[in-house]
Amino acid sequence: MIYLDYSATTPVLPEVLDSYIQVTKDFIGNANSIHNLGVKSKELLIKATVQISDILSCSPKEIIYTSGASESNTFAIMKTVEKYQKRGKHIVTSYLEHKSVLETMDYLKSIGFEISYVKLLENGQIDLEDLEKLIREDTILVSICAVNSEVGFKAPLKTIKQIINKKKSSAVFHSDMTQALGKRTFSLADVDLASFSSHKIYAPKGIGILYKKKDLILNPMIFGTTENAPFRGGTPALPLIVSFSKAMRIMNENFEKNLKKVETLKKNLIKGLSEYDVQINSNDLCVPHIVNVSLKKIKSETFVRALEKEGVCISTNTACSSLEESTVLKALTNDKNISTTSIRISISHLTTNEEIERFLVSFKRTYESLLLK
Amino acid sequence: MKKIIMIKYGELTTKKDNRNFFIKTLQKNIEEKLLDIKHITTYDYFRMFIECEEKDINKVVEILRNIFGIYEIVICFKLEDKSIDSIFNSALEIMKEIPFKTFKIETNRSDKSYDIPSMEVSRKVGGYILKNISNIKVDVNDPEVLLNIEIRQEAVYIYTKGEKGTLGYPVGTLGKALLMLSGGIDSPVAAYLSMKKGIKLDYIYFESIPHTSIEARNKVIKLANILKKYGSKSNLYVINFTKIQETIYQVGNEEYIITVMRRMMYRIAERLAKKINCNAIINGESVGQVASQTLTSMKVINDVTNYPILRPLCSFDKSEIIEISKKIDTYETSIIPYEDCCTVFVPKHPVINPDIKEVLDIENKFDYESFIKEAIDNALIIKIEEEKEDNIYL
Repeated sequence: MIYLDYSATTPVLPEVLDSYIQVTKDFIGNANSIHNLGVKSKELLIKATVQISDILSCSPKEIIYTSGASESNTFAIMKTVEKYQKRGKHIVTSYLEHKSVLETMDYLKSIGFEISYVKLLENGQIDLEDLEKLIREDTILVSICAVNSEVGFKAPLKTIKQIINKKKSSAVFHSDMTQALGKRTFSLADVDLASFSSHKIYAPKGIGILYKKKDLILNPMIFGTTENAPFRGGTPALPLIVSFSKAMRIMNENFEKNLKKVETLKKNLIKGLSEYDVQINSNDLCVPHIVNVSLKKIKSETFVRALEKEGVCISTNTACSSLEESTVLKALTNDKNISTTSIRISISHLTTNEEIERFLVSFKRTYESLLLK
Repeated sequence: MKKIIMIKYGELTTKKDNRNFFIKTLQKNIEEKLLDIKHITTYDYFRMFIECEEKDINKVVEILRNIFGIYEIVICFKLEDKSIDSIFNSALEIMKEIPFKTFKIETNRSDKSYDIPSMEVSRKVGGYILKNISNIKVDVNDPEVLLNIEIRQEAVYIYTKGEKGTLGYPVGTLGKALLMLSGGIDSPVAAYLSMKKGIKLDYIYFESIPHTSIEARNKVIKLANILKKYGSKSNLYVINFTKIQETIYQVGNEEYIITVMRRMMYRIAERLAKKINCNAIINGESVGQVASQTLTSMKVINDVTNYPILRPLCSFDKSEIIEISKKIDTYETSIIPYEDCCTVFVPKHPVINPDIKEVLDIENKFDYESFIKEAIDNALIIKIEEEKEDNIYL
């Protein structure tokens, strides 16, 4: 089997899984309990959180553990809206967003909020002039992801923040950084809220982070808060948190090295795909981990299923919206031949050159057989 | 030309006969903190030099910022080649990096065998710089940049302005004292200021489990660990105070609880201090801050000992204390709210002007001597030293 769907999720690193199991066995206490077992758990919780906040360059108090990025995204938006709707009912977002952002926006629209989608330039970049025009006095939130999950476009967070500041807007800036972690550099100083997920960086599923800047005041997401979980009440999921922290450390230590490797793999992959009459949607402004291609004449879903018979796992656009038309490609091209025929190949430092070669062979076979029909 | 760090000593100049001892202690303190960094330290009567890899220089400076007994930290350039041409080139290279309009050169020639006199060196180098950088001039009275050239036996050192060190005396040069560390904001600040005066510290902490928590103790351990960067290895003596405190609560008049409790603490601290060779007891008391810190209270409480009690914060305002605690990184830990010994069994109205007769009456009601002995014998000793534990889970 060749797995090329790392942006959907990643396998758990063995050493991370070890930590998960060991912590589950060794730390039975609830970090909220005051007895010794609880205190032991709490100490480990603090250490794990400090390790994460050091890597992300923020304060441990700004880390909120959630169940994953979809939860982080939904609550980042909903809680901001809840707190600041008296200031205005206008939100700015983009077509680059994940389904969990887009659907939250649809819901908000249905209850009376006005949502503006910032235009994209032809190269997939946010149209910054349009963004500047869109931000108004009653804009309370700007939500733009750091890396688009379908094509891999990177957004210039610092510039976006500067534009918000330039407009003297007090809009909260949220960024979904799920696909950015380990794939590009970023500074949390540029945003007020950010979403992360652990299973994209070789840690278990079921845990994510909502980064919330210290001075941004929001109401709790889940009540029953404690000192350890002041914004999202409940028993801290210590084994998951520790696994996340460890995976993040490993990711951070190998960041440059892994990025270089993926860049080389991407070049080989694109070279191989360029031989066909397809459109490669990912460009140099994308993270190297994602190669999005529109097949033009073959429906995405058909192709992904056919390729699976060859033992290759890739994705249509994103795992969460596999059966839908690509929002970002639709916005970019308004061409159904492009937006309904796209596939996403997402690679990792674990991917080998040999896998890329074998993939290209399978691709050729599948492509040619489907084209004939 | 090699970039190195030069240290100018603090108030040591006044320590005539002890000067060597002070400098050696400073060197030892610095070495202790630089264990992880490859470096060589050399020193003489006036300066200390640290040579390390260039990439580590900032890290070393960062560490030196927390070490007492340093007047100035200077990044300086060492020239093994002492020829005047070598000085010309290096001086120009250094000056080209700094924006300035006016400058002055000062030369100090402790190597009297060097064949050009100091004034002459200054003049020549000044001339060379004037020739090679445009739009600048010499100003001997108020120059923007002062370039120092020190010609010594082993090499020539060139440097501009350094940054001010933390001053004070090297920790350990003034002996050892026992500091009463409570976990609050004040006592860590008192510890910092004592270390500044060259005092090495051990800590005493009173806990009253189950009325106080393990977390409160851990917080104190953490504070001691933070303070370590300004001083050296130390011991934290954890005194189980539960029995004494409960007994006072049972036999005493409520408003006198704190007074009697503080007297017991001083008795224990004094005895422990003697046992571990501490020459003084230090705490974070500030006059008037709480009921036990009025002058009359302090007199009655202090009555149990004639050991020197130092109170570095006695005249500080709370806001000034908080300011220092933020500077020294203890504030965030200090404010974590845990019950401590002084906040359990707190009377509604503690006595402000305690009557010694009343105090003695309470104390006569129980055999505190045996309690005190037991508390000291059973003290838990926690070593505050470099922690190198890698968490196996993370």
